[in-house]
Amino acid sequence: MLLELIQGTEGGGLIIIQDSIHYSGRTLLMSFIKAALKRDEVVHLLAFELHEEELKHELGHSCLQRLKFHNAFHDPLGWNENPPFTVHQFITSELDSLLTSNQHSKPVTLVIDSFSFILRHLSPSAVCKTLQQLKKGGAVKTTLGLLHSDMHHRNMMGSICHLATSVLTVAPGHQCHEAVAKTIRRAKSGKISQAVERFSISDDMTVKVQSKPVPVGSGQGEAGDAEVDPTANLTFNLRLSDQERQAKEKLALPFVFSKEKKSALLRPVPGSGRILYEPDANDDYDQEDPDDDLDI
Amino acid sequence: MFPELNAILNTSPDNFKQGELILVSDRRADASFLVHHFLSFYLKAGCKVCFLGLAQSFSHYSAVSQRLGVSLTQAKEKGQLIFLEVLNESLDVLLQKTSNTKSQALDFLRDPAVGLRGLYDFVRASVSDSGVGGEDDGGVGTVGRWGPPVLLVDDLTVLLSLGVSVGSVLDFSHYCFVTVCSQLKGNMVTLVRCEGEEDEDEDGDEEGSERLLKGLTHQCCLTLHVQGLPTGFCRDIHGQVEVCWRKTQKDKPSNQRKLFQYKVHDKGASFFARGTSSAVL
Repeated sequence: MLLELIQGTEGGGLIIIQDSIHYSGRTLLMSFIKAALKRDEVVHLLAFELHEEELKHELGHSCLQRLKFHNAFHDPLGWNENPPFTVHQFITSELDSLLTSNQHSKPVTLVIDSFSFILRHLSPSAVCKTLQQLKKGGAVKTTLGLLHSDMHHRNMMGSICHLATSVLTVAPGHQCHEAVAKTIRRAKSGKISQAVERFSISDDMTVKVQSKPVPVGSGQGEAGDAEVDPTANLTFNLRLSDQERQAKEKLALPFVFSKEKKSALLRPVPGSGRILYEPDANDDYDQEDPDDDLDI
Repeated sequence: MFPELNAILNTSPDNFKQGELILVSDRRADASFLVHHFLSFYLKAGCKVCFLGLAQSFSHYSAVSQRLGVSLTQAKEKGQLIFLEVLNESLDVLLQKTSNTKSQALDFLRDPAVGLRGLYDFVRASVSDSGVGGEDDGGVGTVGRWGPPVLLVDDLTVLLSLGVSVGSVLDFSHYCFVTVCSQLKGNMVTLVRCEGEEDEDEDGDEEGSERLLKGLTHQCCLTLHVQGLPTGFCRDIHGQVEVCWRKTQKDKPSNQRKLFQYKVHDKGASFFARGTSSAVL
């Protein structure tokens, strides 16, 4: 499922890569960018946390030429003069003018690094509104963003991820250069599919998935093989034959309050003791049965 | 500076990586010995150092640096070191006695909601080539004399306890990183101190210092996390340091980690692999 997302066969939408301090999702983001550039798409990158030098290292000079890089790294809050792009410009009107500045008939991919920076300065409702308008506006085919899951409250993450068509959560793998990606994809029909895959990224930014995707919730992961039978390979017999099983099920347990026992207790047994009671002058003898309202 | 730490980090005053953000953090321990290491390291390397001293006075750092073989007073006089002694300046700011560049840098003391833009302007002025940072600046003659600029902050958690929001501190750190590391190819070392246990599932009501630590970890290239020993107090081993390289040369997240134990002496600190302390062997 991860490779399908990278190849863009899913038809766009909003893709969110969730990472943490234990594994940075930026390299995976770069893989997506490189794949989109290979498909000859127009890619706009709003870089709040990434500077051009670092991008050159990751993508290479030729890719950088074809990428529309918007420098939001140097002055995202407008503290200096003439900021190239500030976080407050992340609104539909500004983004539309940015994206439609070069008229192309090719599909547009908008990449945001990162949503976490934007969410620190703009309210989640404003960000969600902008993303929704971008989706509906038609100017952008795919929006792709990085989100640091350990920087935000779960509710805020939930509200952004709710808008997403695909959410990829990356975490470090057991091997050195491997990582694990958990993908949740929401199809247009409403069906949700999930997969957990181990992947590695080579030097030229191509992603290799190491194992087949394991659908989450199928019961058996990679670790479990067929269930081990605990009654096998023992020196004593723990199994029951059919007759023994039937006899076991018929047996009434001693302290279980079944119907037969109840009726036996309530029926007066002949020969049992009777209680003769003569009320004293001081006693307050009430003829009514105090347990009358009980319904056993 | 500590030669063993240099060996671990594979650096020396003659040869160190530029453009790096180094995050020093501690949890229920004291990592300030690492700040002294980096201060003496970069002064010996001939860099122009801007030191924001929020936790201690100048004389404290001077006394410790003397033992490490560096004179802060001389460095300040030569113009190599620009030292913002917040403890000293804060009283003037709060009583509004004088108004100079240093008091403008500390305007967040009177109103934390203002943010740290003033402090950033001070840092930018101190490290830039035109160098008009405060009274100690050497003037035009010192331009180009020193190596790449270095910003040291001890420590950022003090800003949180002064009422500055985590977002403002992260923004300040971002801007300092842009100016010092990205544009001027210098280095930046910050100290963040945490209390309490690290809780992976903590949500929403996280302490500011935890969020700050996570935010800075995302930005940085190298982290040094100091903790006490998990087994308890020991006279001969003062704690453990976890060194984590977040980015290799090709900027791929390798997350290579190494764990060492350390002991702080009178004139330095020694680092050794776990279980190889001289007291044990």
